[in-house]
Amino acid sequence: MSLNKTEIKPKKKPVWAAPWGYTEGWLFVAGLLITGLALQLVAGGLSSSALAWPVNLYAGLAFTGLIVFGWVFLRKNSLVSWLGRVPAAVTSIAMITFLVLIMGFTLQEDAGNPGWVQSLGLSNMTSSWPFLFGMMFFMASLGMATMKRLTPMKGRNIGFFLNHAGLYIAIMAGLLGAADLQRVTMDLYEGEVVWGATDRQGHYKDMPLAIELERFNMEEFNPKIAVITTNDGRIVSESISDMFEIGKGHRGNLIGWDVEILEFHKMSGRIDGRFEPVVDYGAPPSALVRVTDSHGSQVEGWITSGSFMYSHQLLQIDRDHSVAMTIPQASHYSSDVVIYTPDGELIETRIEVNHPVSVNGWKLYQYSYDDRFGKWSSSSTIEAIRDPWLPVVYTGIFMLIFGSVYLMTLGKAPEKTEEQLAAEAGEPSGTEPESNIKGAA
Amino acid sequence: MPIDPTMFTIAAIVLWALGMLLFLIAGERKVIKWLAHGSYLAGILVLAVFTWMLWDILGRPPMRTLGETRLWYAMFLPVIGYATYIRWDYKWILHYSGAVAIVFLAINLIYPDNYDRDLMPALQSIWFVPHVIVYIFAYALLAAATIVAIKGLIIEYTGKQWTWSMQLADNLVYLGLGFLTLGLLFGALWGKEAWGHYWMWDPKETWAFLTWIGYLAYIHYRYHKPKKLTTAMWMLAGAFIILMIAWFGVNYLPSAANSVHTYTQ
Repeated sequence: MSLNKTEIKPKKKPVWAAPWGYTEGWLFVAGLLITGLALQLVAGGLSSSALAWPVNLYAGLAFTGLIVFGWVFLRKNSLVSWLGRVPAAVTSIAMITFLVLIMGFTLQEDAGNPGWVQSLGLSNMTSSWPFLFGMMFFMASLGMATMKRLTPMKGRNIGFFLNHAGLYIAIMAGLLGAADLQRVTMDLYEGEVVWGATDRQGHYKDMPLAIELERFNMEEFNPKIAVITTNDGRIVSESISDMFEIGKGHRGNLIGWDVEILEFHKMSGRIDGRFEPVVDYGAPPSALVRVTDSHGSQVEGWITSGSFMYSHQLLQIDRDHSVAMTIPQASHYSSDVVIYTPDGELIETRIEVNHPVSVNGWKLYQYSYDDRFGKWSSSSTIEAIRDPWLPVVYTGIFMLIFGSVYLMTLGKAPEKTEEQLAAEAGEPSGTEPESNIKGAA
Repeated sequence: MPIDPTMFTIAAIVLWALGMLLFLIAGERKVIKWLAHGSYLAGILVLAVFTWMLWDILGRPPMRTLGETRLWYAMFLPVIGYATYIRWDYKWILHYSGAVAIVFLAINLIYPDNYDRDLMPALQSIWFVPHVIVYIFAYALLAAATIVAIKGLIIEYTGKQWTWSMQLADNLVYLGLGFLTLGLLFGALWGKEAWGHYWMWDPKETWAFLTWIGYLAYIHYRYHKPKKLTTAMWMLAGAFIILMIAWFGVNYLPSAANSVHTYTQ
């Protein structure tokens, strides 16, 4: 960002003389970046576990306390008063933007990044020193601005307060809470009671609850029909936009072939070269299709996507091409479970995607299943997440939701029409002194 | 394909183009003015009817693919342009938002979507619709603000004597950033329910954050330096480039290789 270019004017005050403005902000940013990168090279990246409870609580209180103390007792100090004004806000936003932009262009994994990217911490941005410094600068500015508007307290500042304090609370709790966030997965098998979980590094953890999988459920969308090249089994790319859902009576045109679905079974078995509906373990969907080419010649036959038990079946439509049934996509999946807690409670419930279940401070999510078996999977993986800081983050988020509604009301009717402005166009513009900082900030 | 969008799309394009033309030539003639209003609004209505039918036929919100989000965008942008015209009497913005909407519909004509009913389980949430609608509405508002800025920049660099009011851009950004914030937060609340965490720095989230903080910088800068119009207009232009990366550019970035957010094609 080059926000500063237009700010530097010859007759301006010397750098570091009060009141500080943008120039000091950019120097501050440069200092933080250089120090941060140097620390990163020397000391390596940060680990969020260093902030584990109760260190994060103390850190948050100390940081917030410093801001409050600074505002209450050192209001006249150049640094303190500057942090509460817009130049610090804009330069700290620019610093965060710069770092997150790098993050946006860099794969956030060590693997696949050159060595220098890794050692500068750019592939692990959120646990790098420059990011920490940027966030501290940003939060100091945000916190100080909030304090400034709080004293004296005025009713009309409520929107400002909701937005600024809400953001402060949400980000602070999110950053500090990351150290206490626990994410583990539990692999369940039908009929087995499971107490243990594994974290992302593969470490075993005893859980304060046990889960028994009664049943894994899955529903599927109907499969689709596609034209593939028979040799390699790839879908012909021109036909992708014409693929359609299989269902009895459905008809469509796939790159010149007229394709009609005469029969469709969601679960079926092969009997004497044809397919009949059956309800059986591993029974795949099948369809009878009639394909007519542009010259009017027809072929008719059964196709199936197959399953882990049965192989697929194609219908050859010319020398190189076949029509094929795609593997059905899951529409819903869920686990029926019994949850046992140490105090003897027994909860029968269903854990479904988008519908986690809360037990004893843990949230349980449907995470995955054995995709080799699809809907016949007899195992299911549940992710258990504990985030004790979540209520604080949500407090901030809900403050921001109300604050953003306030933001929408800030618009004003334009003072002058374009004609009036045009009439005044002779006057010099943009050369007046900056709007007074006191009023603006 | 369960529904053919071609006729609806062409009808909307023609109605908007006709409406814009009539607005240009109407002058003081009342009848032509009314026809212009009617034609412009009818274009929006046609698209709204199509979207509603699509939703009904698919049995899922038509917000899953990039093309489907373009559809909503092409519907909202003329709404915002029209409302701005009615509310603040800026006729030119009607034309620009109409033109941009036509471009987006034309893209959908050239690259037709394969509308199908599949909707992955993670997207089946009460948050899906508010998250997407609020975001696309914000995108359309911020596009309108960008149009104001670009017009201002063109006037400036063609050397005309000018004073350009940024009040309209400011109003649109206040509204747009409000909706953008709601979209971001709805996404966070949804993320907690669907993926277990409210913020994971997924590439899409990273770019959404950049977009958000870009407009945040704009608002603060405008507040502090209301006379520095050129810098502010460049900030709006830059923020919109980031917005477009967040919307669709991110699909093509190597950093997004593992994103959960890329649109199904």
